Amino acid sequence: MKLDHTQPLEYSTKQNQLNILGFWIFLGAEIMLFATLFASYFTLEDRIGNGPSGGEIFGITPVMIETILLLTSSFTIGLTVNAMRIGNKKAMLTFFVITLLLGLAFLGVEIYEFYHYVHVGAGLQTSAFTAILLTTLGTHGAHVTFGLFWGLFIVSQVKKRGITTETTNKSFIFSLYWHFLDVVWIFIFSFIYLKGMM
Amino acid sequence: MKELFPFKQVMGFVFSLVLTVVAVSVYFFDLSFALGMTILLVTAFIQAALQLVVFMHAGETEDKGAIYANLYYGIIIALVTVFGTLLAMIWGYM
Repeated sequence: MKLDHTQPLEYSTKQNQLNILGFWIFLGAEIMLFATLFASYFTLEDRIGNGPSGGEIFGITPVMIETILLLTSSFTIGLTVNAMRIGNKKAMLTFFVITLLLGLAFLGVEIYEFYHYVHVGAGLQTSAFTAILLTTLGTHGAHVTFGLFWGLFIVSQVKKRGITTETTNKSFIFSLYWHFLDVVWIFIFSFIYLKGMM
Repeated sequence: MKELFPFKQVMGFVFSLVLTVVAVSVYFFDLSFALGMTILLVTAFIQAALQLVVFMHAGETEDKGAIYANLYYGIIIALVTVFGTLLAMIWGYM
C-alpha cells in the first residue's frame, strides 16, 4: 500500500481518496433526493383539506432547539476531524461522542414533535400537506437515525484500532455525511418551518 | 487545548449561529412575503456554502475539481427540479 505523507491520513492511499470522492458523488444524489421532496412539499403545502396548516401546528421553540442542537453537532464533528488530524485520539473520541449525543437529543425532540403533530390531528393521512410534511421531515430524521448507528460503530472501531488509515477514512466520510444532514436541516428550517410561520 | 479549537472552525460556528438568528428574524418581525423569502434564501445558501467550504473541506485535495463539478451538478438538478415543479404545478395556474 502506497502512503502519501503529504496528505492527511484519511487521504493517504488511492483507495481512501476514491472512497471520499465516491461519497461526495453519493451526496450529490442525496441533494437531488431532497430536492424532489422539497418540490413536492412546495406543491402540496396549501392542500390542507380539513386538517391544520403549517402555521397552526409549528412551534418556534422545538424548531429552534433542533436547529441549535444540529448546528452544534455539525461544529463538534468538525472538531472531531481536526483532533483526528493532529493525532489526538482522546479528544477525537470525546468530540465524536458529543456529536452523537447531540444527534440523539435532536432525534428526541423530533420524535416529540411528531407525537405532538399526531396528537393535534396532523397525521400522515390527514391531508396532502401533512403527508408531505411528515415524509420530508421523516426522511431527514431517518438519515439522522442511520447516522447515529453508523457513528457508533466507527467510534468503537477508533477505540479498538486507534487512528489508522482506515478509521480516519471512515470518520472523515462520516463527518461529510453529518455536515450534509445539517445542510438539509437548514433548508427544512428555512423553507418549511420559518416560511410556514412567517 | 487551543489546537483543538481551530480559529477558522470556531468562527464558522459563530457565523452559522448569526445566520440562524438573522433567518429567525422573519418570524419575529412582520415582513412582507417577498422580503422574508429573500432573507431566507440568502441566509440558507450562505449557510450551506459555509458548511461545504469550512467544515467539509471541499477544496482540499487534488479531487477538488471533481468534487465541485459533482456538487454543482447536484445543485443544478435540485434547482431545476424545485423551480420546474413550481412553474408547472403552481405558478402556471396563478
